[in-house]
Amino acid sequence: MCGHVGSGRLGLDSLVRRKSFISGGSAGALVCVIAWVFPGAGHLWLGRVQKGTVFFIVLPLMYLIGLWLEGQVFSFDLSQPLVALAALADFGIGLPYLLTRFFGAGEGRVVAVTYEYGNTFLVVAGLLNSLVVLDAYDIALGRK
Amino acid sequence: MLVFSAFVSVVFAVLTKDDVDSQIRTGVILFAGFGGACILLGWAMYPFPL
Repeated sequence: MCGHVGSGRLGLDSLVRRKSFISGGSAGALVCVIAWVFPGAGHLWLGRVQKGTVFFIVLPLMYLIGLWLEGQVFSFDLSQPLVALAALADFGIGLPYLLTRFFGAGEGRVVAVTYEYGNTFLVVAGLLNSLVVLDAYDIALGRK
Repeated sequence: MLVFSAFVSVVFAVLTKDDVDSQIRTGVILFAGFGGACILLGWAMYPFPL
């Protein structure tokens, strides 16, 4: 029983240390950056392992399906507002977006039957990760 | 569409609920809602020309 209480105490101390670290300075922004770069990593870092694991698997998988369906990863083109908005949404997925742009993948094939489906997967994966980032930020500030 | 609905339902359920039972319940409701809405909207759009 003592061991059980002790381990619980250790867990609480760890949580208190983590909370005090998070509340200091611009740590909330740091959580946002981590959560944006690696989908789910913000939750994992904040100790929400179950949520973080699900996001870590589901969001990149959704993005990959979007690429597989020959969707296009849009680049920022302010002369075309809708394309710029789609690029902003794609950008929300973080590292997968950067890797895709770096390796020149995600060109898309407009005549493919699945083109629009692929775009939808890519855009929604980015938008969902943006929500995940905001959720991680709320957790970091102790709002949730 | 069903795959897309499943992914979105999972993310929203995990995002909004903290315990696993609530997450499963919410995910199933969302998934059923997505599927049902798609079928209903599909039928509603049936009379319109392409």
